[in-house]
Amino acid sequence: MDPYQLLNLLFQFLDSFAVIVLAAVGLAIIFGMMGIINLAHGEFILVGAYATVLSYHRIGLPLVVAMLVGVAITTVYGVVLERLIVRHLYDRLLDSMVATWGISLIMIQGVRILWGNSLDGVGTPFGSVSYGPYSYSTYRLVLAGIAVGVLIGLYVLFARTDFGMRARATIQDKETARSMGVDTDRMYLSTFAIGSALAGLTGALYAPTRSVGPEFGQEYVVEAFVTVVVGGASVIVGTSMAGGLLALVKSGATNQWGQFIGLAAMLVTAIVAIRLMPDGITGLLEDWRRARRESE
Amino acid sequence: MSADSALETITARVRSPFEGPNTTGNSNAFWTAFVLAVVGLFLVPAVSPGHVSDLTLFMSYAFLALSLCFIWGYCGILSFGQVAFFGVAGYTFGIVGINVGAETGALLGVVAALFVATLFAAALGYFMFYGGVRDVYVTIMTLVVALVLNTFMGQTAGSEWAIGDARLGGFNGMVGAPNRAIGTGSVAIDMTGDGLYYVVLALLIATYLGLRALVNSRFGYAMVATREDEDRTAMFGYNTKFIKLAVFTFGGTLAGLSGVLFMFWSPGGYINPDVFGITAAAMPVIWASIGGRTSLLGTTTAAVALQYLDQRLAASGSEYALVVIGALLLFVILVMPAGVAPYAERAVDWIRDGVSAKLRGDPESENENAPSNSEVTK
Amino acid sequence: MSDRRLSRRRALATGLSGVGLALAGCLAEEGDGNGGNGDGGNGETTGTTGGDDAPKIAVLEDRSGNFALNGTAKWQASLLAVEEINADGGVLGEEIEVYDPDPQSDNQRYVELTQEAIVDEEVDALWAGYSSATREAIRPTVNQHDQLYFYTTQYEGGVCDETTFAVGATARQQLGAVVPYLIEEYGPRIYTVAADYNFGQLSGDWVRILAEEHDAEVVDEEYIPLDVSDFGSTINNIQGEDPDFIMSMLVGESHTAFYEQRANTGLDIPIGSSTTMAQGYEHRRLDPPALTDMYVGVNYMEEITGERNEDFVDRFYEEWPDAEYLNQEAQNNYFSVYMWKEAVERAGTFDQEAVIEELEAGIEVEAPEGDIELDPATHHMTHHMRVGHADENHEVTFSEEQYIEPSFLHEVGCDLTEESEQTQYEPGEYYDEA
Repeated sequence: MDPYQLLNLLFQFLDSFAVIVLAAVGLAIIFGMMGIINLAHGEFILVGAYATVLSYHRIGLPLVVAMLVGVAITTVYGVVLERLIVRHLYDRLLDSMVATWGISLIMIQGVRILWGNSLDGVGTPFGSVSYGPYSYSTYRLVLAGIAVGVLIGLYVLFARTDFGMRARATIQDKETARSMGVDTDRMYLSTFAIGSALAGLTGALYAPTRSVGPEFGQEYVVEAFVTVVVGGASVIVGTSMAGGLLALVKSGATNQWGQFIGLAAMLVTAIVAIRLMPDGITGLLEDWRRARRESE
Repeated sequence: MSADSALETITARVRSPFEGPNTTGNSNAFWTAFVLAVVGLFLVPAVSPGHVSDLTLFMSYAFLALSLCFIWGYCGILSFGQVAFFGVAGYTFGIVGINVGAETGALLGVVAALFVATLFAAALGYFMFYGGVRDVYVTIMTLVVALVLNTFMGQTAGSEWAIGDARLGGFNGMVGAPNRAIGTGSVAIDMTGDGLYYVVLALLIATYLGLRALVNSRFGYAMVATREDEDRTAMFGYNTKFIKLAVFTFGGTLAGLSGVLFMFWSPGGYINPDVFGITAAAMPVIWASIGGRTSLLGTTTAAVALQYLDQRLAASGSEYALVVIGALLLFVILVMPAGVAPYAERAVDWIRDGVSAKLRGDPESENENAPSNSEVTK
Repeated sequence: MSDRRLSRRRALATGLSGVGLALAGCLAEEGDGNGGNGDGGNGETTGTTGGDDAPKIAVLEDRSGNFALNGTAKWQASLLAVEEINADGGVLGEEIEVYDPDPQSDNQRYVELTQEAIVDEEVDALWAGYSSATREAIRPTVNQHDQLYFYTTQYEGGVCDETTFAVGATARQQLGAVVPYLIEEYGPRIYTVAADYNFGQLSGDWVRILAEEHDAEVVDEEYIPLDVSDFGSTINNIQGEDPDFIMSMLVGESHTAFYEQRANTGLDIPIGSSTTMAQGYEHRRLDPPALTDMYVGVNYMEEITGERNEDFVDRFYEEWPDAEYLNQEAQNNYFSVYMWKEAVERAGTFDQEAVIEELEAGIEVEAPEGDIELDPATHHMTHHMRVGHADENHEVTFSEEQYIEPSFLHEVGCDLTEESEQTQYEPGEYYDEA
């Protein structure tokens, strides 16, 4: 394999990694942390994409601003949904599945009724980097950087700030947190809002790279769930490690044997990973840590 | 007076195997209504022939609903991939049927399909439960299995993807499974139109009653105990892994039966990989949630009713059809967290108590299993 | 628009009650106890209703779900044709009614609704489905009832079926227009990317066959599952091979992303296709220059010139001001409704067998794409095939208009006027290259 082809592989990996992590990260918070099996996750992404494209084309905002609008609108959407519906579903893991499936149906068809079968495309910015006979989209590589940035940002938010501590406390043990004076209701709302914002971000970021129509969000759902489950309970460690593993398998297999094998290999890896690590990668790491502590 | 009590003893004895704390509807009133409903269903071909085909199809789906109700409602295993067994059975039926041909092909097809679906479920169940995969991880894993099948079958269009004479056919599907009759040699049962309707209906009733008896048996209690607290049940000396494996395997058989019956209904013996898709996979979960997942009858009814409603909305051509369905799901889950069945039962109790204070209290109808809001959240 | 639709529904409803009455009379006369399912049908097994019932056609096209993007215009164009025909005095002096549920891109729903259309609604002709999978899902039902069925999508070709009329262009017709043109224009090295299912794989076979026939070669081919929308590796692979042109038979919304990603990566190798622009109007939806140097083999696009088409486009948008695009399939729906009308009038009855006989006697239609004729032996159309080219501003121009017969089915010996069949032939069985 010549060095150019290695570069291909590296870029394809980064590209897959970005897609998987960004698809999963919002869900990791809403599903992984809060226990809502959000089958409408794709439609949160859809809201982000639509808000971005519509404010770019119809209001004429610059793309970056339009993306921020996309994130903001998805956050508001998430907050409204949390107040109206989702807050009735905390601790009802399985009911949340059917309710969010309903939301998903309504959103997809509602978007179709309001804005038709597709939106005008937004061109991908930045052009490409060339090397030898090959080139790769600069924007896709930037997305990989953003994915890493988002993970670091979340780490700081949840591990290093007072807010993060209260949020985690609330979700781990609501009663205790409340007795310690945490406004748990508000914590749930803000955590859900963060999850929504991240889903919106994904929609905003990928709107310029794909065709935007009512089914836009559906493309992310499978990868998102698989990643979150393989990752396990911890949002940051789980998502990044699972994202890394799945992206490696997918991009490697795709590069060698084509797209079908790549897709199949990723799904089969997920099955095997769940079997070998019933509590996800996070669970495995915790076991190791515990074992080491005990042996010391 | 004594004749009355003798009759009562007899009905009580007939009823007893089907009754217990694990099922709703343990009263004469319930069974009377049940018998009336069954009679009504048997009369459909005479009264309303236009509904026979649709009802046959929807009742075939009801087995899929029952399979999920059985494993999820009674044993706490939420499979999002019951359609995998449905589809595998359908394809197996087709492959065997096409290669053998005619009524004998259909017969062998049924046997092979149920066998393969069961074996597949057993293998997957062993892989999961003996590997410590639990709860929501089971849910996602089963879904991924269905999606792998969907992706794989979709690309099997080429002529190299054939088993004997049966072309798998990719997304365009496999056609030509012999499904007009079943039997061997000179004995064959017609499996079209009204004939198929009665076969499906009879099987459905038998399956429903059988499952009622099963969940009210000692094994049923062990299932429910496993659902409620697996570790504690294991501590009492039950092999919970085996219980889950057995339940999941039998659930696979039922889902397979659903797939087989679907193939008998399907015009031209046609099946395609859509049966493994995410939309198809979600349907049983929706039926069970809406109907009330701890109610076999509720789930069955929900499957038929929701399919019917869905079809009528599609037939209306309204662009709001999917919005209405979505809103309905949302509404039911928010207002009736345990599904419709427990509420329906409570409503019936309430009416009965209100109408006749004289009526003897039936302690068993106070179903200890009827989930309260806090209990359904497992 | 919604008001208009409402009024049509109401008209339909009144019409329906009329049918009910007529049927009731019918039943009373016959008194054979065969019917009475309460749904307005009289329980006849085949849809060979006589001329005294109000004529009705079924238009089953997706207006929601995955294929709504393509299906909506098909539905709109069908209704336009019916409206025009009814305004012009109907068929055999009778107004045509339309049964038009929304199958929601769900193949299972298609089967149920097709049954309903045939058995309960007793339609005189059926238009249904965008994807090949849909066609194959409902064809057994169609065959069971000997239902006259028009399938209008451009497709992989090969369906030889006694009551089915596949009036869209076939892969051989479309690729036969564009592949030789591109070999001539750019050179002989072809890279195929296609959707990983029946249509894509068979189209890939056809590209290979056509390449062979024109002394070109397919240097590599890639088949992509339908839900893939990231093409980084595919684009790298193409760059590695550096072909003279790409043949793309990608399908669906996920795959549309390929074109944007190609442009963004600076891959300026021209692309030939049978699936873009004419169906999903990518040249309108994507931001230029995503489709620069896209060549597509089509029998129709909204943009083709000529007074007849311009007039058709005007009427379409007058009827449906909010319509997004008038695609190739919509045109096919439109002309085939007229073709059916012509056949019915020649037959003097709505009886389906008689109508099929008239269609098989050979028929010519003045379609917006040009005057075209039905090939009696194969139930396919001879089409005016063009190569549409999009420039960097997505302006479409056409070249190379050819009148191409549906030759493949002739080669395999499909002659429905002689022998009844219900098969689908594949190129693999007849060509070594496939």
